[in-house]
Amino acid sequence: MTIASVSQAVLLSLTIAGLYAAVAAGLTLTVGVTRIINFAHGEFVMLGAFLTYWLHTRYALSPWLGMAASGVALGLFSMLVYRVFLARVLKQDEHNQLLATLGLSILLLNIAVILWSPDPRVMQAPALLPSLRLGDVSIPGNNFAVALVGLTLFLVMLWIKTHTRYGTQMRFASDDPELALHAGINVDRVFELSFVIGGAAAGVSGGLVALVLYVQPTVGVDLVIRAFAIIALGGLGNIPGALVGAAILALAEGLTSTFVPQGGSWGFGVAFLLLLLVLIVRPSGLFGKQVQT
Amino acid sequence: MSGAVMDEIVMDGLRIDGCTVAFGGLRAIDNVTLDIPGGTITALIGPNGSGKSTFVNMVSGQIPPVAGRVVLKGQPITGLRPDRIVHRGLARTYQVPKVPKELTIQEVISVPLLYARSDRPLPSGVRSAADLAHYCGLRPAVTTRCGQLSVSDLRRLEIARALACRPEVLLLDESMAGLSLEDTDQVIGLVREIHVLGVTVVVIEHVMRIIARLCQHAIVLNQGRLLAEGAPQRVLTDPDVREAYLGKGFTL
Amino acid sequence: MNAARLLNRLGFYAAVAAPFVVVAVAEHPFFVQIAIGVAVSAILALAWDILSRTGQVSLGHAAFFGMGGYGSALLTPVFGPVLGWAAGILLCGAVAVLLGAVTLRLRRLYFTIATLSFSLSIQVFILVTPDLTGGSTGIMPPVIAGGSPPHQLLFITACLVVAATVSDIFLGPRFRPAFFMIRNNPHLAAASGVPVTRLKILAFAVSGMVAGLAGACYAGLYGYVIPEDVFTTNWNVLPLAVTILGGMDTTLGPIIGAVALRALEEVARHFVGGVGYQVVYGAVIILFIVGMPVGLVGFARGLVRRRRKPAAEADTVKARLAS
Repeated sequence: MTIASVSQAVLLSLTIAGLYAAVAAGLTLTVGVTRIINFAHGEFVMLGAFLTYWLHTRYALSPWLGMAASGVALGLFSMLVYRVFLARVLKQDEHNQLLATLGLSILLLNIAVILWSPDPRVMQAPALLPSLRLGDVSIPGNNFAVALVGLTLFLVMLWIKTHTRYGTQMRFASDDPELALHAGINVDRVFELSFVIGGAAAGVSGGLVALVLYVQPTVGVDLVIRAFAIIALGGLGNIPGALVGAAILALAEGLTSTFVPQGGSWGFGVAFLLLLLVLIVRPSGLFGKQVQT
Repeated sequence: MSGAVMDEIVMDGLRIDGCTVAFGGLRAIDNVTLDIPGGTITALIGPNGSGKSTFVNMVSGQIPPVAGRVVLKGQPITGLRPDRIVHRGLARTYQVPKVPKELTIQEVISVPLLYARSDRPLPSGVRSAADLAHYCGLRPAVTTRCGQLSVSDLRRLEIARALACRPEVLLLDESMAGLSLEDTDQVIGLVREIHVLGVTVVVIEHVMRIIARLCQHAIVLNQGRLLAEGAPQRVLTDPDVREAYLGKGFTL
Repeated sequence: MNAARLLNRLGFYAAVAAPFVVVAVAEHPFFVQIAIGVAVSAILALAWDILSRTGQVSLGHAAFFGMGGYGSALLTPVFGPVLGWAAGILLCGAVAVLLGAVTLRLRRLYFTIATLSFSLSIQVFILVTPDLTGGSTGIMPPVIAGGSPPHQLLFITACLVVAATVSDIFLGPRFRPAFFMIRNNPHLAAASGVPVTRLKILAFAVSGMVAGLAGACYAGLYGYVIPEDVFTTNWNVLPLAVTILGGMDTTLGPIIGAVALRALEEVARHFVGGVGYQVVYGAVIILFIVGMPVGLVGFARGLVRRRRKPAAEADTVKARLAS
């Protein structure tokens, strides 16, 4: 174990943290506003990954454009899902809401398996950015791109929530839907919008997945488990917390897989242990506000 | 210790001793000390956001105080789990009771009958969940599911559920809010009957008319602090109390 | 429990067991295999439902299913078949108590994620401990009933009746209202004197043990267990789909659901082959939660109740006149 190998592992992990942060930021925006536990967020990411992959391998579309197209496509898809499905589920109790989005997740995952087979694929794309060299350590260009886009996406989510009119309405609508209704806010529309933005973010994140991970139907489940662990670390609805959570999880995973024998298969275990540790110590997350229940 | 002497005095009631509940920087209950004498009907009043509901949550153990003691019949109950506090003889109702809609009236009342572990007797003639429902003026059949009950029936069910805990001290959180005049009168009658059974009742209310008619003792909270305490007539005419209410621009 | 209710339940168990026994006696190889699969699914789904009644939605029951299989297989050579199974199932209960205690304070969604990542972690644990568990090559437990499928079916049917009995106990007057209250509003349950924590952990322990029973049955069918077989997401998702299809919060629901889902699965396999047939799980969950959250059994009961309602109303009028 040399300093170079450690710094290499740390830097690579931090680029993956960019991807995790993007997935988690979209999810926490949706969940934080609508309180719908959208388990299918991971499948939205998976669909974005396949879309970027197909656009590149079939039509030689640049992954940059593929990402943007995935964002738009998944945003529209989210709108469809919200209107025909979630709007109905919102009226049911929390127990059934959770079961319904679980069902959606399983459905989308298996449709992908049927259409595209469970086999993992690698997108053979030329590096989007030149690789970054820092002394003995080098970061592949695609990892660099993932970190950059992930961080940008994350900042956009944060900006929407804190600096736009819709963001203010979102916070209002999530704090007290009834009061927001009285204040003339179209709560249903705000919920739908936050869901669509979350879906679009998932689509773009899917493009990032295609750059650095295997494109396969189960990639969504893998990511959504991590995203939930990150949200747990950062606190529900807390977007900056999600960035810190993503960095912690990605570092923990990266270092485990580099330096622990057979550590590569411990990804879920790391997420699980982090989740438990944080939640035992501080049930509303490291940065979540302690809410009155 | 003067505290021990005071405990003697309110052996049969509820004593709150220097209690504070804080959410982040906000002190929802701020160093409150007061006594609820045993055997009375006591009103707990205050403007919106004055900490009334937090007070009930604190006493019932749902949100334990960060400082101070809650003493029930001379026994400290601070920091006990809510179900333990029920076992000690203190029950509370919820302002907006959220009951499982698939359960029947009978099933809801049966829960405390099975789990409250009190040896206090039920009102005379009341032997079952059905009797208790009838006693509290619930007209629908006991096999009716809660999902089909009206708001006023849900309020009555909530009182029946709390009574099924067989408490010595009962906290009613706005049990009459939003009820029709007729329904309100019925609930007032019910509260009187419960009081006659020897239960110490604390009524959290907005409506002054009810307090003047029903209570022997009143406590006023404002911004988490104790503002006034004493006989209802005196408390309701207190200039500070009037200012706390009317200063908010008649928003009540 | 009074005599009438006892008789009613005994009749119910006989009615549940009868079709399985008929299939076993008929010794039709295809249907015997189907019936075995249905019974194992039903036991696992009953386990999931018992936990779900307290509001704890698990996506990690494969962990207990697998642990039941591995536990019974590894402990049978040590303690003999009866005690070995008992020990394997108790192991599941013990792990469930531990997991239940740490996940107790988690809000719904985090609970579900925690159970899912727990089951994935257990699978990794098996893979990295080849000395203890055989790693990816698996282990070879003793076969139940000498490997004769009809006898195996009879044995598993008996296990199903045990699971149904356990489920019924937790639908009795002592637990059903308290469990539903915990699920719907834990504060209200605590304010009614219910020890919420203890009941949630109790439900988890019982659920883990029943799931372990299902896993032990499954492992004893063919005489080998491999991690890819018992820890797959399939066993995490299947109990949800089965229970939601048949009807949550009932004993009959998971049993009917297991039969119905198996039929749907066969249809799906016909069209999409061996991979992706779980698409029916997702479709069933969505359609039923949105369209018929009470499931097949709840729907049928609703029909019966509607037909009986006029009679019941007449009864209440009589009762009022009498009082």
